[in-house]
Amino acid sequence: MKNIARQQMSIKVSSMDLLNNQIKLEAHASATYLAMASWCDQNAFTNSAEFFYAQSAEERDHMMKIFKFISESGGIAISPTVEDINHDFSNLEEVFETALDHEIMVTKSIHKILATARNDQDYVVENFLQWFVQEQLEEEKSLRNILDLFELMGRDGIALKLIDERVTRGE
Amino acid sequence: MTSVYQSKFYTLYQSNTDRYFYIDFGQKVVKLSFCQLLALRQKVNSISIEAHFDADLNKHGFEVLMLCNKEHLFLLNTLEILDLKNLVCYGFALLGISSENTMVAS
Repeated sequence: MKNIARQQMSIKVSSMDLLNNQIKLEAHASATYLAMASWCDQNAFTNSAEFFYAQSAEERDHMMKIFKFISESGGIAISPTVEDINHDFSNLEEVFETALDHEIMVTKSIHKILATARNDQDYVVENFLQWFVQEQLEEEKSLRNILDLFELMGRDGIALKLIDERVTRGE
Repeated sequence: MTSVYQSKFYTLYQSNTDRYFYIDFGQKVVKLSFCQLLALRQKVNSISIEAHFDADLNKHGFEVLMLCNKEHLFLLNTLEILDLKNLVCYGFALLGISSENTMVAS
């Protein structure tokens, strides 16, 4: 029997399913960061707001990268629906802590897909995901550095303003 | 045409000459390109079979399935959906693009 399906698609369908789930996660992250930007704007943390606007755009870029990869591999990329976005935060530290938790969740998901692809000998997917592994490392580091500022500078009014100012400097 | 996999109600065929796939649904045979077969898999896999056992979520236990850009419409019951899920799972494994290869081999 001719392998017509394999001629049409370069990746395994199991990888395609996991990558489509990853699209959902990236879309959710993008929308979550937008909600965080909105909260920061409302609470006069303008630099943090800009940081989250940029993060939101970056997550969307990640989503599009995966979306195009699936399509170019011959699969079907599914446009995601985004629900349950939290807009309520107690303070600025909680915003960044939630963002870090989100990044950790995304990292875990990337690692899971990578492990599955390796197990299935789906080397195209494994190679594609290497960029995301490095990217997630940098995303987590950037948020950890900002959270360190709360330990160093405190959590009162003036400290929060100073932290907000440093966020734009890529801390 | 080569038979790829036969479940209780349905059969998946592959044609090497026109490079299309065919599913015999009993009442009729549907011709699908590979992309349409992938879309069918996506639709079938996204059906929540749990909802068929919850009267609030799926009162009558039926599912409307539209295939090939709404060219075909099927009304399937719980057993037929389960069987179609089975056909999709094993069919794709036998087509060599699913990680469930080992499961089929065993």
